[in-house]
Amino acid sequence: MAEATAPKPSSSVKLVLLGEAAVGKSSLVLRFVNNDFQENKEPTIGAAFLTQKCNLPTRTIKFEIWDTAGQERFASLAPMYYRNAQSALVVYDLTKPTSLVKAKHWVAELQRQASPGIVIALVGNKLDLTNESASSSNNLGDDSEGDATEGEADDGDARKVSTAEAKSYAEEEGLLFFETSAKNGTNVSEVFTAIANAIPETSLKGARGPGATQAASRTEDQSRVNLTGPRDSAAKDTCAC
Amino acid sequence: MFNLSSLVQKAQSFIDPTQALNISASDRNPAKSTLFRHQFRLPDSQTPLQEITAELTITPPVAYSPNATQGEKDKDRDRGYHYAGKLHLSESYLCFSTQPTSFLQTASTSTSSGFTGQTNGAGPGGNGFTLPLCAIRRVERLHSQSYQFALAITTWNGLSNSTSSETSKSPLLVQKIIIQLAGTRPACERFCDGLKKGLKSGVGEVAKLKRVVSQCYSEYLLQGEGRKEATPPDAGLGMIFRYPGDAKKLRDRSKMRLWGEYLRDYGRNVTLIRQPTFHKLIRVGLPNRLRGEIWEQTSGSLFLRLEAPTRYAEVLAKYEGRDSLAIDEIEKDLNRSLPEYPGFQSQEGIERLRRVLTAYSWTNEEVGYCQAMNIVVAALLIYMSETQAFYLLSTLCDRLLPGYYSTTMYGTLLDQRVFESLVEKTMPILWDHLVKADVQLSVVSLPWFLSLYINSMPLVFAFRVLDVFFLEGPKVLFQVGLAILRINGEELLDAADDGAFISVLKSYFSKLDESAHPKSENPKLRAVTRFQELMVVAFKEFSGITQSSITEQRVKHKDAVLNSIESFAKRTSIRNLGPDSKRLSVEDLGALYDRFFGVLYDRQMRSQIIMDEDERRAKASRSKAAEVVSGLPENQIIEKGRVGLGPSPTQMDYDGFREFLASMAKWAVTDSPTPSEKDSPVTPKHSYFGNSVRSRQALISPWGQGPEPAEHEFMQRLFRRWDVDCNSTLTLQNVVTGLAHIKGKGDIMGTITYFFELYDDDGDGKVDREGILRISEALLFLSRRGLEGSLTPSSSSVGLSEYEAGNPGQMNIDMLSGSTNERFLSSVSAFIRRCFEYADPDRPENQEEDNVPDENPEANNDAFGIGEDSDEEEEEDLLDLGPDSSPKRTKKPSGVSSGIPSPKDSRKLPTRSASVAQAEAANAALDPSKPLHITLPTFRMVVLADELLEQFFESSFPASFRISDKIPTPGAGSSGASLTTFSNLSFGRGSNAPQNGVGVGGSTAGVVPPGKGIRGVLDNIVSDGMRVAAEVRRRVDEAQKEMEKNAVPRPDEEDEEEEIVIGPRNPGDSERRSVRSEDRDLLEGVDAEAISIRGSEGVVKVTQESLSPTSGPDAGRLRSASAASSKVLEFER
Repeated sequence: MAEATAPKPSSSVKLVLLGEAAVGKSSLVLRFVNNDFQENKEPTIGAAFLTQKCNLPTRTIKFEIWDTAGQERFASLAPMYYRNAQSALVVYDLTKPTSLVKAKHWVAELQRQASPGIVIALVGNKLDLTNESASSSNNLGDDSEGDATEGEADDGDARKVSTAEAKSYAEEEGLLFFETSAKNGTNVSEVFTAIANAIPETSLKGARGPGATQAASRTEDQSRVNLTGPRDSAAKDTCAC
Repeated sequence: MFNLSSLVQKAQSFIDPTQALNISASDRNPAKSTLFRHQFRLPDSQTPLQEITAELTITPPVAYSPNATQGEKDKDRDRGYHYAGKLHLSESYLCFSTQPTSFLQTASTSTSSGFTGQTNGAGPGGNGFTLPLCAIRRVERLHSQSYQFALAITTWNGLSNSTSSETSKSPLLVQKIIIQLAGTRPACERFCDGLKKGLKSGVGEVAKLKRVVSQCYSEYLLQGEGRKEATPPDAGLGMIFRYPGDAKKLRDRSKMRLWGEYLRDYGRNVTLIRQPTFHKLIRVGLPNRLRGEIWEQTSGSLFLRLEAPTRYAEVLAKYEGRDSLAIDEIEKDLNRSLPEYPGFQSQEGIERLRRVLTAYSWTNEEVGYCQAMNIVVAALLIYMSETQAFYLLSTLCDRLLPGYYSTTMYGTLLDQRVFESLVEKTMPILWDHLVKADVQLSVVSLPWFLSLYINSMPLVFAFRVLDVFFLEGPKVLFQVGLAILRINGEELLDAADDGAFISVLKSYFSKLDESAHPKSENPKLRAVTRFQELMVVAFKEFSGITQSSITEQRVKHKDAVLNSIESFAKRTSIRNLGPDSKRLSVEDLGALYDRFFGVLYDRQMRSQIIMDEDERRAKASRSKAAEVVSGLPENQIIEKGRVGLGPSPTQMDYDGFREFLASMAKWAVTDSPTPSEKDSPVTPKHSYFGNSVRSRQALISPWGQGPEPAEHEFMQRLFRRWDVDCNSTLTLQNVVTGLAHIKGKGDIMGTITYFFELYDDDGDGKVDREGILRISEALLFLSRRGLEGSLTPSSSSVGLSEYEAGNPGQMNIDMLSGSTNERFLSSVSAFIRRCFEYADPDRPENQEEDNVPDENPEANNDAFGIGEDSDEEEEEDLLDLGPDSSPKRTKKPSGVSSGIPSPKDSRKLPTRSASVAQAEAANAALDPSKPLHITLPTFRMVVLADELLEQFFESSFPASFRISDKIPTPGAGSSGASLTTFSNLSFGRGSNAPQNGVGVGGSTAGVVPPGKGIRGVLDNIVSDGMRVAAEVRRRVDEAQKEMEKNAVPRPDEEDEEEEIVIGPRNPGDSERRSVRSEDRDLLEGVDAEAISIRGSEGVVKVTQESLSPTSGPDAGRLRSASAASSKVLEFER
């Protein structure tokens, strides 16, 4: 992103990842933090903690990422991790409809229990297993996760959750929405950037950026995000200001 | 200092034996048998039968020479080690453990303080042995002067290789231990008798033992050099894929040699004797190939395997090809369990992992599969065969990490809480810092405990922790955790947030193999690695952390942890209830959740208690052996069903539903709460008429503390309606949806429709004659305790309104309740009349002949009879009807809705001729031979035509489900209070607000003297009942006189009045609708009823029917409909 010439205001943002087991939460983080991908990532026990900076034109956001365990029985631990979180990634697997149901539960929980004003992004992961995947990594995809083989019958498209369905839900609830692939990196940094932009200036620790510059950054980001993300982030921004 | 503190602990452990591993209701007073099992790591089947003080003498094995002289034997005894301790005998084990005082040898290593107590349940820490009786080859009684009572025990040590070469020329090394019993002679004799018995029954197990130990690596290791078998037993994936770490650096070879010597001298696998060296050897780390076996031995899973060696294979075979949620979850994680270890990049390793996890998920379906188990099992599989890993996993989940992997993970959360409190205690400065910096410790420490440090530390070090953990128990996890924090204390104090905190520890773990003192001058000190330092700090500095201190903390925090889990579960489950739940308020949903699970929990507890009671009795009658130390197994499972502890029931059966309703709606409380009147879960339909008393003398009421629920056809219908999945149970979702449709609509039309649909059995939009009568019965059932919500005063009550202002004296109450009852009764009777009046006739096509009316619950003349009973006008119509209908008799119609008249009907018809001519339509409707039905619009119209009914559907009915507040206490709620509540409400005094306590606090106060208790309440019911009955009788008498003028009674039928009455009033009980009563004429029914009221017994009956429960002889029969009829007679005049 934009090169930082002068020291920009920097602030840290706590972000929590939630979602069903094996949807790719940890992989998303790994892609974002290390730009890496591991086929067999150990399941997260409890939670993992990572940090990564995200440079916006006007400020630097340091994400403190809490990557949580996905198995149902770990759900009762989640409040420990989303405590004080300013943003959340709720991830589902777009080859697995049940994971979207679980994601909706998480959204509901966050909306009721997490800190007010939390910025939530709904993310459908494993885009590489579908046809739309720009890099068309379908052929490679099969050996990665067992899910890949399920949808093989019809020209390798394993998608089971339509973009429209998830998107309309996200709009209803006022969430950011993305479809990503942690495997080939599609949209991953976009998600985090969009979240960084959607975090209201006021909720940032030590934030002192003037509103004017922020507006500029927003438009710049919007142009990039618009393809996949709806106008939610814009809406979010305007509400927040 | 150290000695003092450990002394204090010992003292505490004697005073307050709160030292069980498993967390249960027995926490504060764990059963001795539990402690015993934990102490010696025995399977749950074992109980302590005998115990005696003894001294153990261990000699190095000698060449077996049966002809040795006595003198030689004595010499043997003088050599070797002596330990004073206690000898225990269970069904199939002989165990020895040293007394705390004899622990001097290991005291310096601080192990001893952890588990010195005889029964502190911490594990086999003391010196001694846990010997399966089947591993004993021979027991000799030694005769010598120096010892009073000494036994020489020869074991099957080295059994497997001895069999292969029995006649081998090399002399067999025989393990022999000598035990001197120190006790009175009879005590020693008794012990020996018990031992003899056990040995005899153990003989059959020897073959099993042989098979089990043959899979132990030690047997292979100790085989004579020249006779090594080609294939060693499976010692884990490490044999194929190499063991983690550098064997040279780990000094594996010399460790192996030391272990070889130890095992040769002091027994291997089952015959192993724990001596101080044993603990030391474990502390320095186990050699790769023996690691699995020693884990198995110290954790006790070896004994589990010995008990059922084929279980693993059996479970796998039994469930082969089956699918489950757990298996889905396992599959997700198979490829990501220690993926860096080559063994788990291969099919072989993955398959083993899959099989072990799957087999365990089937043996413990409550736990199923929890992430982290995959990592733990993967680690185990590096060092042991899958069979061994399976049993060790069971031991882990059931004993060592209780509740860690349960569906609520309460064990994990609890131990996190305990860990925090230990940090607070031992490192107050660090703790303050954590609190100030708002760092949540469990964020860091939870994975340590959950995966036993395996994915936190480098593998080689995690295994070292495991070595000690299996020997010494869960306290090791705490000690190591505390030591990690202590060592990194200064850096952690600089960490300002979670992130910094975590990274400090991350970098520490990555440097565990480095020198702890790299800059030291002393080369010895420089050689100490960070890990060694960690172990020293953990076991020296935190030696005060014992099993008992942990148990104490667990007990202390358990409730808070469970409560928070439960409130989380509640929140989540309410949030996920779906759109219907939006119709109810959040408070209502919360209360509903509490009620629902409260009932389920109570029921489970009660059935558990009853079961335990039965079991206890059976046990008591079975065994009279005074020496059986009775463990109290029921205490351990008594909290089953609690949401926080793991999978709890989520399905409510019909009886639970009744109980649930009774906790909410006063109409659902039974009228006859006699303890002997039991509801039968098998045939609940018949239990309403509880006079068929099956007196069970269970000590605990099946309904617990709450009010005993009533049984009514309406409740069955409601249950069926809510049970949308048709599996005869309700989930919380079902209940919420069901209630949302009743309470949440808030409009009268919705409620009317709902009610109608309840009775529209086939969903064709029609309710037949039977249905109409059932509706009216239900209306009376629902209103018999009074109505909720405000009912505006109507003409009838205006006349009585003078009482409202005045002192609600007892006589007044009678009058009031009588009049309100009558009002509603009249409404219901008018309802029936109108229903019939406006009913549509069914088409005659589907009428068919049916002479066995009892068989057909739909076709019931008696129910029809009530309906007519209830209204004099109808009766008159009917009288008129006779001639018209007689031709139709020949058709004998039945059909969906019609009752089947028996021949007697026509016989009576002529007698009815003297009556007032009324609407023809109504006549036709009343003819049982003419099927008819009402539709929803008709029903709606009929309801709306009556002010009281309208109010009932508008507010009373929905309001009668009181979700958020409790109904009055059982006694008052089911009896005295309700009488007066009715009258209060009838005057419109009540508001729409919940009526909680109105009846109790209001006029009832005069009726039930406070403090008189249930007895007083019952007395009042009876006296109330009598008074009301007297009033009713007076009116009925008048009515009777009136009626006698108009109607023509049939005196010859009077003696059969009972049957007439009983039959029709059995809703849902078709058998009771006898043929005799079938053909009774309505008029006669009325007559009979009226007449029966004159008798003194009849008075009581009417009372209970119309008003409230009594303890009369016919208490079980709620003859509301007939009661209604008799009232109506009078009322309509």
